[in-house]
Amino acid sequence: MNAVVEIQNVSKFFGEGQSVVKALDNVTVSIQENEFVAIIGPSGSGKSTMMNLIGCLDKPTNGIVKIAGQDVNELNDFKLTQLRNYAIGFVFQQFFLLPKTTAVDNVATPLLYRGMSTKQAREKSLEMLAKLGLADRSSHEPTQLSGGQQQRVAIARALVTEPTIILADEPTGALDSASGEQVMKLLQDLHAEGKTIILITHEAEVANKAQRRITLRDGKVVSDDRSGVQV
Amino acid sequence: MILIAAKLAFSRIRATKTRSALTTLGIIIGTMALISLVSIAQGATRGIQSQFQGLGATNLNISSTVANTLTLEDAAAIESQFGVEVTSKQVRTSVVVGNENNRVRASLIAVDENFTEISEPDLYVGTFLPETTNLQDTRAVVLSSTLALDLGLSVDSINSKVSIENTEYSVVGIIDDSQGFGNDGLAYITLESAYRYFAKSPYLSAISLRVEDETLVAPVTGSLTSLLLSRHSITNASDADFVITDASAILEALNTVQSTLTLLLGGIASISLIVGGIGIMNIMLVSVRERTREIGIRRAIGAQQSQILTQFLIEAIVLSLLGGIIGVILGEIVAVFLANLGGWEFILSISTILAALGFAMLVGVLFGVWPARAASKLKPVEALRFE
Repeated sequence: MNAVVEIQNVSKFFGEGQSVVKALDNVTVSIQENEFVAIIGPSGSGKSTMMNLIGCLDKPTNGIVKIAGQDVNELNDFKLTQLRNYAIGFVFQQFFLLPKTTAVDNVATPLLYRGMSTKQAREKSLEMLAKLGLADRSSHEPTQLSGGQQQRVAIARALVTEPTIILADEPTGALDSASGEQVMKLLQDLHAEGKTIILITHEAEVANKAQRRITLRDGKVVSDDRSGVQV
Repeated sequence: MILIAAKLAFSRIRATKTRSALTTLGIIIGTMALISLVSIAQGATRGIQSQFQGLGATNLNISSTVANTLTLEDAAAIESQFGVEVTSKQVRTSVVVGNENNRVRASLIAVDENFTEISEPDLYVGTFLPETTNLQDTRAVVLSSTLALDLGLSVDSINSKVSIENTEYSVVGIIDDSQGFGNDGLAYITLESAYRYFAKSPYLSAISLRVEDETLVAPVTGSLTSLLLSRHSITNASDADFVITDASAILEALNTVQSTLTLLLGGIASISLIVGGIGIMNIMLVSVRERTREIGIRRAIGAQQSQILTQFLIEAIVLSLLGGIIGVILGEIVAVFLANLGGWEFILSISTILAALGFAMLVGVLFGVWPARAASKLKPVEALRFE
């Protein structure tokens, strides 16, 4: 098995001197391909920082973060952006779809930034939307979609790039329970298809759907529980 | 990528119509001012220029510099020269003109029948001098408006009598002398009349002539100079007792006036365009701030800094070009209107339009760079967290 995320002795500090905040304090975690991992912890535990590091949105203060085999410390902004585009499929709590942009164009955006032709990008995006049962919503703008639909469009956008990791940050946090369950079911299905999924959440119920649960507290890993549902 | 950025820019502009319209307003007004002011500068001076060309570009004037050294024989010799179309002989002298109201000093200009072919006297009232034959004693005078005023004459004073020195003349016309030959009033009489009462034949003060076309001005000036030098038996050109002038100096001065005026008015308009650019920058900076989250999302899913930069830069350029195009159209409409009002010819100058559009675009680039850079330099993590 390949490690898609390798976090070795990683610390992330914010601020300076007396008021320095240790968001992550000497954390070592490794996530393998095709794992379904939930990173849990209360607010302030460092899980958002963890998510930013795994998502290549930020670099650690100390330690090594390797995503899809690449050491982020060694990458410049261009390469880091490229790594995000190819290796990470983001799913956010607030969906973060582009406003005033149709579902299909939202899904196609990461492909366009990659340099794919508009035509090809749209074709792939329509396929992905159809796969997620949103074929008839492809020309809708975010405001014309329900929360659950928006999150599924966001998942389509995450999947369309065929990333190494699906990184979902509280994906059900802004959804009603029915839509939330639908989204969780979708993530489980994707895991069953062989995708690597990393879920950031503070809800135990959501975390329980994962195969492995890494619990953070005060910037440290306090438990790494692999007793979850196995595929 | 540029195409996508342009598409994004257009959809963004469509989505925020009111704001985009207000943003481009500065550019619209700036371009409009640029186009209409430059057209005023060009149209107005071209109008004056063509008037001068109609009157004077092919005209030459030979004046004697020491007393009346030119003669009727000189005039005849000049008339037969190559390229000379028509000549007009003149005698000038200073006289006292009087009537029952006043007595004033005036310049007497005695002209032959060709005078009206070379100059176009601007008649207020009456006629210019009647065409006469040599032997007729035509004691008719045309007064300049200044002189007429000095003598207490008005438009209904035609046929009233004035005395020039001690000879009585009848006023047949009054002309506008705003073209200006100094402050003296002017009195035009026929050459024959002058020879009878005021001057000695065959001497002349000046010979005006018209050449067939503008290209002949210089060669004819040259050939007439040598002709007159030899006729007057002068070997050294610097000793010449005459001077030949043409309108080229005036035209040159006019050209300078035109380019100065164009530069001046264009410069003023450019300032307003730059102010318009600052407006764009202002709105773009606000827009970047408002769209911080969106920029964060784009960066997260793989937009490079250069792609964000391009997107915002193109948005600024599209805004300024759009404003430029609208401004050009409005500016040309204003220019047509002003041309009608000012009575000059409307000229659609493609180079001015292109320059204005180019300038508008440049303004967009210059003032778009800062906001676009600000957008591209946002840190993804912070941009995503931005509320």
